Amino acid sequence: MMEISYQNVALPVREDITAAHRRTWDRLGRAGTWLTGAERLAIAREARVALDCKLCRDRKDALSPNLVQGNHDHSGGLSDIEVEQIHRIRTDPSRLSRAWYQGLRDGGMVEERYVETVEIIANIVAIDTFTKGLGLKPWPLPTSRPGNPTKCRPVAARQQIAWVSTLDPQDAIGTEDEDLYAGRPTAAHIYQAMSLVPDSVKSFFDLVVNQYLPPQAMTDFDNEYRAISHAQIELVAGRVSALNQCVY
Amino acid sequence: MVGDEPRDGGVENGARLIRFATAVLGDDLEELAAARDEIVAVMGGEALTDTAAVAALFNAIDRVADSTGIPLEDVKAEATADFRSAIGINDFATASEKGRSV
Repeated sequence: MMEISYQNVALPVREDITAAHRRTWDRLGRAGTWLTGAERLAIAREARVALDCKLCRDRKDALSPNLVQGNHDHSGGLSDIEVEQIHRIRTDPSRLSRAWYQGLRDGGMVEERYVETVEIIANIVAIDTFTKGLGLKPWPLPTSRPGNPTKCRPVAARQQIAWVSTLDPQDAIGTEDEDLYAGRPTAAHIYQAMSLVPDSVKSFFDLVVNQYLPPQAMTDFDNEYRAISHAQIELVAGRVSALNQCVY
Repeated sequence: MVGDEPRDGGVENGARLIRFATAVLGDDLEELAAARDEIVAVMGGEALTDTAAVAALFNAIDRVADSTGIPLEDVKAEATADFRSAIGINDFATASEKGRSV
């Protein structure tokens, strides 16, 4: 099985980043909570194909994406509504809207599968942008493993702060999903964003901790944890989010 | 940070970091290579890989925020209200899509 390795790269890549990327790739081909391994890989593949989609390019150039109609260039194997979700999140995230999301739901999108798909897209973007930054080709996708999704929905998840249902940290206390927040009654909204699928949160934040900073290091301004300073880290993060026109 | 000019943001080597962050989201691979080489030459290889890691992670986390419709926490929105308006963040397309203009 192909394993991610940066050993032959001329640049020094921290071992914790390599290890996190390997774990992500291993999970990518396995059954998740709502998607099979094959489905998860098809979504990952489509997240890459989206970058070459003519409809997405035309929409990106338009004053509004709704002004341009047509069909996505896709790799097959996914429904039209899944392709629309993947392509829009990958290529034009700043102009997603509640109405767009509701349109997907009205078209049959299952909320839990939507959230797990977000996780896969985010993981692919985090690793593919990293390799691009180092001048490397994207890693070949892993092979799928047999297995069935667990289909476990947090009992306390409900529609509250986001378009998607989320699990409030306070509501999680005393449930089998209490470990998601380590028993704490509060959490940053971005950590709650995919909490409808707790394993998606854990998977993505494995990359957050290793590519960015662990929680305790974020506000520990007396110490530096990376080869660039806190100020430099936040400058890079802010620039990327500004270019992406991300309000959060 | 939201403008076109790669200033330094008052941060050491800030212009170089902004140049790289801009290039890694773009399509110009020659510019990306030049931005990468500049960081390695001045700041070192470890600085380059850590910069790439952060830029890549935020390129992903922005998509998590935008696709789930998760709003900014009230306390953060209030604490940053003045400069968010001043530097144009409230003009972003998603500003009114997260339950309120922030």
